[in-house]
Amino acid sequence: MKIQINGRWYEAREGEMVLDVLRREGIDVPALCAHEAVEPYGACRLCMVEITHEDWGGWKGNVTSCLYPVEDKLIVQTHTEDIIELRKTVLNLLLARCPNSPEIQKLASEYGIDTTSFVPREDADNCIMCGLCTRVCTQMGFNAISVAGRGYGREIATPLKEAPPDCVGCLACVKICPTHHIQYEDIGTTREIWGRQFELVKCKQCGKALITREFADYLIENRDIPADYFDICDDCKRSGTARDFKKLVHWEEKEEAEEEVSA
Amino acid sequence: MKPEIDVAELKEIISHSPQKPSSLIAVLQDIQRKFHYLPPEAIKETSSALGVPLSQVYSVATFYSAFSLEPRGKHTCRICMGTACHIKGAPMALEQAEDQLGIKAGQTTPDLRFTLEVVNCVGACAMAPVVIIDEKYYGNVRVDKMKRYLDGVRDED
Repeated sequence: MKIQINGRWYEAREGEMVLDVLRREGIDVPALCAHEAVEPYGACRLCMVEITHEDWGGWKGNVTSCLYPVEDKLIVQTHTEDIIELRKTVLNLLLARCPNSPEIQKLASEYGIDTTSFVPREDADNCIMCGLCTRVCTQMGFNAISVAGRGYGREIATPLKEAPPDCVGCLACVKICPTHHIQYEDIGTTREIWGRQFELVKCKQCGKALITREFADYLIENRDIPADYFDICDDCKRSGTARDFKKLVHWEEKEEAEEEVSA
Repeated sequence: MKPEIDVAELKEIISHSPQKPSSLIAVLQDIQRKFHYLPPEAIKETSSALGVPLSQVYSVATFYSAFSLEPRGKHTCRICMGTACHIKGAPMALEQAEDQLGIKAGQTTPDLRFTLEVVNCVGACAMAPVVIIDEKYYGNVRVDKMKRYLDGVRDED
C-alpha cells in the first residue's frame, strides 16, 4: 500500500501507524512518548498530523500519527499552519510543566517558543507524564512503577510511595525517559533507584559491577540465558575471545616462518 | 491516628469476590466500605489474592475519588459547592459544618467519626443548597439546620 506524505508517495505496510512510516522515511515530526519498545499511547500530542483521503469528500482531520493506522492512499500533511499551531500550544504547555528540561526547551525553541506564556509549574521536575517508564516496566514484566492519582496531581510513583518490591533495578525506565527525569546512582557495588538499593554483580575477572543480582537472576530464569553468563562482563569476554584469536594467528605466523626457513 | 487492621477480616472480605483481576474494583469497594479507607495491608493483600501487580492496584486506588488511602470518618458529610448551591448559601453551611466538627473541608475528625468534603455538583440543584450525610440528601439547608443534621447522625451512633 502507498500513502502520500507532504506530496510524495511512500510505501507503507498493513498494521503500521502513520508515525512508523514518518520515522522510517526520516520525515521530521516530533514525538516524545512514542518508542518502538512499547505500544503507542498518544500522551504527548506532538506527533499530530493532518490526514485526508480522496474518498473522504474533502474531509480533513488532525490526528496523533502514533495512533493512526495507515490505509491505502491516505494523504498526510505534517507541517500545515494548523498543525504547527497545535504543536506550539503543546510545547507551550510542556514548557510550563517542565521549564527546566533542556529537551523541552530545545524542542520548543525549534518552534519559536523561548518562554512559556502560561504560569510555569512551581518546583517543577522534568517529568512530562508520557508514561514511557511505566509502559516499558510493564513490557519488561515487572510492573514496579505506575501512574498514581489523577488530574493535576497525577504522577509516576512506586506503590504506596515505598521502595518498589517488584523492581529489579534494570534501568529500563531510566534509559527510555525522553527528558532524563528518572535518576539512579551506582556507588561501588550498590545501585540506588526508586528509593531501593540493589547489590550489583561483579565481573569475576575485572571486578567491574554492571547488573543487579535481581535482574541477572530474572534473565537467567526467564530468558534462557546460561547461569554463568553474568559471571564475566562483556568487555572481559571480548578480550578473552581476542586472546584466543591472537593465539590462532600466531600459530599461523609461526608456521609461515617455519616454511620460509625450510625454503 | 491509624486504626488497627485485622488481616483475617481483610482476607475474608477479599474472598467474597472471584479471585481474578477483574474483581479489583469490587474488592476495593468492599474494603473501603468496611474500613472507610484502603489500608496499605489491603492494597498488598488484594494484589496477591487477585494476581494484579501491586503498582496497578495502587494506580486504581489513587485514581478514583471513591477510594481513600487515608483513614476516613465513619460518616461522610458532603457539602455541594456547585453554582446553584454556592449562590444559595452553601459556603455558610460549610462554615457552620467546619465549626461544628472542628475540621476543615477535606479533613477527618481525630476520633474518625466524620469526614467533611466539598463536592462540585450532585445534580439536585432544585433543592439547593444540598448537603449529603452518608447516603442521605438534605435540601434547602440553612445554617441552623446544619447542627441538627450532624447531631442527628451523632445520636444514631
